[in-house]
Amino acid sequence: MAKSLLLICRQSPWAGTAAREALDIALAGGAFELPIALLFMDDGVFQLPVGQQATALEQKDLSANLQALPLFGVDDLYVCQASLARRGLTDATLSLPVTPLHGAELPALLARFDLVMTL
Amino acid sequence: MKFAIALFSPPHAPASRRALRFAEAVLASGHEIVRLFFYRDGVYNASCAMVAPQDELDMAAQWRAFVAEHRLDSVVCIAAALRRGVLNAEEARRYEREAISTGAPWELSGLGQLHEAAQLADRLVCFGGD
Amino acid sequence: MTTLHLLSQSPWRQPLDSVLRLLGADDALLLCGDACQALHTGSEAWSLLQTLPATVRLYALQEDLQARNLGAAERVTPVDYPAFVELCAQYDKVNGWL
Repeated sequence: MAKSLLLICRQSPWAGTAAREALDIALAGGAFELPIALLFMDDGVFQLPVGQQATALEQKDLSANLQALPLFGVDDLYVCQASLARRGLTDATLSLPVTPLHGAELPALLARFDLVMTL
Repeated sequence: MKFAIALFSPPHAPASRRALRFAEAVLASGHEIVRLFFYRDGVYNASCAMVAPQDELDMAAQWRAFVAEHRLDSVVCIAAALRRGVLNAEEARRYEREAISTGAPWELSGLGQLHEAAQLADRLVCFGGD
Repeated sequence: MTTLHLLSQSPWRQPLDSVLRLLGADDALLLCGDACQALHTGSEAWSLLQTLPATVRLYALQEDLQARNLGAAERVTPVDYPAFVELCAQYDKVNGWL
């Protein structure tokens, strides 16, 4: 059986290619039908709120990649509640159905996976 | 034990030297490296265009020597490499660029190779940051 | 499943609190590079490390301690590269923080 991977996305979509390159790992793994979950934490939560406009900075829209995740079979999505709260995003509308995790739920999530990659 | 090692930092970051010393210790301890994978700014480790000052470590040269000596499977993410100007002869031709900045022993390939290595190995160890 | 967490950035650049939020009770931290600066006793980062449960093992890369003139603090086991490799084998997986 394929090993499961937890991908931890910690980069803002506005900090260069980091966020995109992390999502590319998820999409590539999804294409191989590998069991992959994503955890958005720290500045990675800035990828989630709706209404952001990449065109203002002449950038490609990351939300297209985010929306592609479920199409690639990557629909096990989590967000660190504390990271949202610290950034004032607790009530923000998010573009993906992510499960908020707090406290002991975070280490419990990590413990479930065979592999972990943080980007 | 089988190790897959990924490097996300460029040769001038301490993480590059650390990853190489780790990889050397993996082999010296009798373990196996199933693949080295270079992603994000880690692709610069496969560049032959860098010139380190004479009194400084030349990490790209050290990586190249290590990979060649142990005939390791060493994959550089092609998308990350193209974006950063790390091109082998084939890609330079394809995109009509004059500079060829990587070649053997490095192989340019896709992110699937990272997943495959992680699946084949007993441990995946990623080096990034500083 | 246990995780060995590798930290390489100064705790003033990569705050320890987000790392600690993910840390399981049987996980371990290996400090390398400027993450070792957390071992200056009396620093904020050091105080935070003191709050970890005793089950969480702390390691630091010997060469980084030596370079920074840091002694092996209480609870912290210095490791060389062969020991680093064996630690990776000892824990179920390795999480390298950027």
